[in-house]
Amino acid sequence: MYQQGAGDFKYYVGISSLAQIATRDDRVCVLNILGGESSEVTPVGHAWSGGNVVFGTSPGRRGQVLETELGNIPVYNSVREGLDDGHRFNCGVVYLPPSAARDGVAELIRVNPELKKIFIITEKISVHDAREIRAMGQQAGIDIFGANCLGVADSWNQVRIGGALGGDHPGDTLKRGSIAILSNSGGFTTTIAQYLRMAGWGTTTLVSSGKDVYIHYAAPEFAFALANDARSKAAVLYCEPGGYYERDADFTKPVVACVVGRWKAKLTRAVGHAGAMAGGHDDAAAKEQWFKDKFGVDDIFTPEHPVFSAKGALVTNIAHIPAALTAVMRANATLPDFAPEGTMELKPWFGSNMGLTLPAPLDLPVVESPEPYRSQVALLAKQVGAVFPREALKDASGASQMDPATQVSSLYGTRVLEAACLPLEANVSLALLREAGGENDRKLVNVALGASINLYGSPELAAAQAAREAGNAPNSVLSAAISIVGPRRAENAGRIVAALIERFAEAGIRDALAEEVDLTAVHADTALAILVSSVEPDPRALAMLAGLEARGTRSVFVRYLRDQPGHVSADAVLAAITTTLAWGPLMRKRVSRLTVETLPWWMRLFGTVIGASAQSEAHRPDGFNGFATADLLGRASITEVAYHALLGRAPEASDLFAFQTLVGILLTNGPGTISAQGAKGAVSSDGPETPQRVQLNKALTGFLSHTGYAHGGNGFEGVQFLIEQFRDSGLQDPADPAHGVDLKALARRYAEDYGRYKAGAKSLGSLDIRKIPGVNHPVFKDKPVNLDPREVFIRELMEGRGEANVFHDFYRVLVQVLRDTGVSRTVYCVNIDAVIAALLLKLTWQPWRAGEISDSALEAAAFSIFLYARMLGCAAEADDHLNRGRNMDTRTVASRCRFVS
Amino acid sequence: MQITGMLHGSRLLQFADFPTAEILGPDASEEAIKDLIERHGSVFIKPLFKGGVGKKGKAGLIGRAKDLKTALAEKERLYFVEHRHGNQVAKANGVTFEGAVPAEHEVYFSITDSTEFRAPTMTLTHMGGVDIEELDKAQIARIPFDPLTGLKAFVVANALADIGAPKQVISPLVQHLPRLWELYHDFGMNTLELNPIRMRPDRRGRLTPVACDFKCGFDRDDPRWHRLNLPAHLFAADYSDFEQEINQLRTHQGQSDVYVINDQGTILAPTFGGGANSLVTEMLGDDAIISSDFGGNPPYEKMKSVASICFKHWLRQSNVLFIIGGKSNNTDIFETFRAMADALREHFGTHGPTPLYVVVGRGGPNLVRGMGVLRDTCEALGLPYRLFGFDSAMSEVVDYAREVNEWMKAGGREAVAARLRIAPTATV
Repeated sequence: MYQQGAGDFKYYVGISSLAQIATRDDRVCVLNILGGESSEVTPVGHAWSGGNVVFGTSPGRRGQVLETELGNIPVYNSVREGLDDGHRFNCGVVYLPPSAARDGVAELIRVNPELKKIFIITEKISVHDAREIRAMGQQAGIDIFGANCLGVADSWNQVRIGGALGGDHPGDTLKRGSIAILSNSGGFTTTIAQYLRMAGWGTTTLVSSGKDVYIHYAAPEFAFALANDARSKAAVLYCEPGGYYERDADFTKPVVACVVGRWKAKLTRAVGHAGAMAGGHDDAAAKEQWFKDKFGVDDIFTPEHPVFSAKGALVTNIAHIPAALTAVMRANATLPDFAPEGTMELKPWFGSNMGLTLPAPLDLPVVESPEPYRSQVALLAKQVGAVFPREALKDASGASQMDPATQVSSLYGTRVLEAACLPLEANVSLALLREAGGENDRKLVNVALGASINLYGSPELAAAQAAREAGNAPNSVLSAAISIVGPRRAENAGRIVAALIERFAEAGIRDALAEEVDLTAVHADTALAILVSSVEPDPRALAMLAGLEARGTRSVFVRYLRDQPGHVSADAVLAAITTTLAWGPLMRKRVSRLTVETLPWWMRLFGTVIGASAQSEAHRPDGFNGFATADLLGRASITEVAYHALLGRAPEASDLFAFQTLVGILLTNGPGTISAQGAKGAVSSDGPETPQRVQLNKALTGFLSHTGYAHGGNGFEGVQFLIEQFRDSGLQDPADPAHGVDLKALARRYAEDYGRYKAGAKSLGSLDIRKIPGVNHPVFKDKPVNLDPREVFIRELMEGRGEANVFHDFYRVLVQVLRDTGVSRTVYCVNIDAVIAALLLKLTWQPWRAGEISDSALEAAAFSIFLYARMLGCAAEADDHLNRGRNMDTRTVASRCRFVS
Repeated sequence: MQITGMLHGSRLLQFADFPTAEILGPDASEEAIKDLIERHGSVFIKPLFKGGVGKKGKAGLIGRAKDLKTALAEKERLYFVEHRHGNQVAKANGVTFEGAVPAEHEVYFSITDSTEFRAPTMTLTHMGGVDIEELDKAQIARIPFDPLTGLKAFVVANALADIGAPKQVISPLVQHLPRLWELYHDFGMNTLELNPIRMRPDRRGRLTPVACDFKCGFDRDDPRWHRLNLPAHLFAADYSDFEQEINQLRTHQGQSDVYVINDQGTILAPTFGGGANSLVTEMLGDDAIISSDFGGNPPYEKMKSVASICFKHWLRQSNVLFIIGGKSNNTDIFETFRAMADALREHFGTHGPTPLYVVVGRGGPNLVRGMGVLRDTCEALGLPYRLFGFDSAMSEVVDYAREVNEWMKAGGREAVAARLRIAPTATV
């Protein structure tokens, strides 16, 4: 049946010595050479083995090549074509998919009479095919290795065939020595070689046997070839449960056997490819016993309990292999091949306690890794900030999301309801740095924005005013202004930020507020000093520095500027401020370097939007809207300044709170909103993969152009509705609980009107019944009494502050009356639009009633508040898209578009 | 992936034209059972188990009845009976009624792939009907044969002669048994066992082998068994929801062999490589939730899907996310770590943060870049971590993960939760 080969086996074995398994004379043909796995590992093995692959096959790809360091490997459609072209080989490597592996073996055997060895890397070959492969190899007298293996390697010959033993740098692991390895696990073949090196043992031949039911080159023939290999003094075997291969192996040289898988005895059902179960006679316990019998030992070797004989030792933990080997070899009067190269104790390459106190055994300090990894780690350490993988971000966002259950949106994990409790300046930090920041951060934002708000004499202001006079809505007015704030307006500040990050990160500064740290290393950088300097005194810089001083802010970057002997520029001060803001998130890798470098630009843009929303008279050489420059930079909060810009008057504390609440809840509504889509589209079309080309001012223009009168979020429909109800009510102060208006009567009047309208519309067969603005919600409905959780949150927040709002109260009365009068079947919820309208009208009721602002100005104010808030939310989207998006990723493929006739 | 019993076995044996005992399923009417008893004199009542369950006879789980009343009583006794064999516990769901086959001779026959011979091997004895282990080796023939030509009549004939089988059984077995090879080889089986085959005499005394019990195992890497159109629920009992979800991703490219060890565990250990899997599973014991092998250089998308499924099912109860493998040969560490880091980030994004300590031990291509990504993710999510290279012994790293788990159980989880500003949702 089978051919007679080497040794006294009942089956064919051609290899008589391990030295013959992988030699420099072997010539290799790789089947499916261009496949995913082969195309990665074949070039490495080919180069390390001195170019042992003569050609590969890949049906239909004749003429292509596989590039390697040692030149291209030609590819043919089939083995026959390669042979016809004059190539000769004695080794076949099979990288084919499982269903094709058997046919590949047949091809190799039938077509090439010079074939001697086949290496099958393919995993998950069916047992059906494995038994046929075995039979074919036996009939033809071919040695087969595998399947489901990682091939073989020889450290002496510096050859590897098939697979990837030694990884992408085989020389790192495979050092010439005296130990042969046979392992059921491909991964552990390399790992064991690595462990042996640490203990001073090199290797001869390494065989990854695979662990299918059929192991074609297994322990008995390995033992035979080991005996005949003069280079190998001993062997390490790594064995998993299943199969009688080890039992039938007859070793004449010392062996350390690592048997694992005893835990499988605890399993309650068959697991794994070989299906080895407890109770079989080839489980881990049985294998351990075979080796104990072979070695004449009665226990497992551990460092604490070293049991071994001159014949060998049994271990169950691969970490014990080196010690066991050294002990066994000492008993054979043999010393390691070379000095140990290291120890195997715990050496974390990276680690952090995240500020937690860990028990001492867990609190391991980070240690340096060996070369070449050390320099790679050093390179990594230089990398500051987060690096995000890019993906298509159409309708997706890493910044915002809406919880479908509560309809509450969040920005970087902060719910808009929580954002509503924060001042505008904190939400600036949240939008771009993902954290609302602390008191110092707010002061810094106030100075940075305050310095950009006054547009006196600038083209931005002229453009805005011209746009306003031409009858544009606030979004178009603001677009006109910020279109001018292009890349060059922030180029220099961005460059300074980049230099600050470079220098301060290198100096190891972790805390941007630690002003007292030693900056000698930073001061030594003269290029940086020149970059931040100004030939003439820069009045804007001086005003900002004075503002920072007056507010008592802390910043190591500002201190650096103050330390400068000469003058510094306003760009430098702005860069110092934004870098201080960003330093924590940057060091914690919450944000990317790119984001931090763009911060000055964003600050300019935000300042311009707020400034341009005020009439041009508000901008003066010495101040803005009643704020003197010193006051603007040294005291005022940007919330207050923005309120002023919008409504032209000083706010009460409750007004300010209502204003910040509005900004908070309007920040975002997820990436699907039309405003976010505008911003994201603008970034996407500029190409975020080349981020320096993306125009952030255009991103804001994109957002602005995607807002408008129909935007529900601006609350104006609700405002109009409330004005209609309250126009003749004689209401003086909506914040006064004793307002004296009979809300129930107002509500009933409306409910009756609406009921009549609805009945009339229905009798006419109209399905398009006008909705009441601010009432009902598609998600919060169908209960006897419905509540919008966002409305509840704001109501409770305001109640907690003791603040009344007659408009909000009216809405709550209205939904009850609608139910009581039978207009609705349930008590509708008062939705978030109603809350927005009630807050807006509360802010503007008195000036509107006094005739200080017109209906259209009221509408503009309402619209602008929405724009302030969404500006931050959309900046977050734009920044997110800039960092993570792909070029043109927001477009819709043509196949998903429709033509409507 | 095993089938036992004649309910499905008789259908499969039809493919090989092999005679079987007459059988009725759990939904047989009383008339049909009565009719079966009348024709065969008596019936055997056997519980129906999913998957492979052996030694039912020894456990008293086979009933015999000569009248309808006894048959129904046995049905009631065995319908939901529990069977314990080794570590396996199985619960029956239904019974079969099998017409008794009167016979003088009982034969044991099996085919399996033997690792001793490295060939398909037939095991045969005319002393069947009992546990094969209880017989003298001289009475059993174990004969490997060539898969390219198959199980031939002469192999069976020689084997029966060798063990001294009575001559009247030889001819019928030589005629019928070789057909079973086709069933075995062509439908993706890796074991096939008929015990007993009862030799039923006809009126002239000529014997016909009749299969009276059936057991087979299928190779899940062999699509040939799909040809049998077996109902999917036959194998469904083998897998939990989690395993089923993961197994849908099973392809030849990259391993995804996963199963649940302890659904109350607190260490979630995605493991790379079969060797690492054995070591880790052994050392973690009951602390481990799953046993897995994700090696074989899985592409980014697959690795991310696998990690997402693991996180979805297990992260909340986990104290330690423990990513562990040896020094990989061709698995790209950057790709696999990036995929897992992204899955972790996304999980925190959609399900909220959960207290976790991350421990990693790994080596291989692009190691430092891969670790860099994991480090950044841990930093961004606020999770404490230690990442070890291949120069730390894997078993030491496993021990470290266990110690971390103990610390997490003893207050560490609360401390990490406080750091994340969340409630330390109790582990299971």
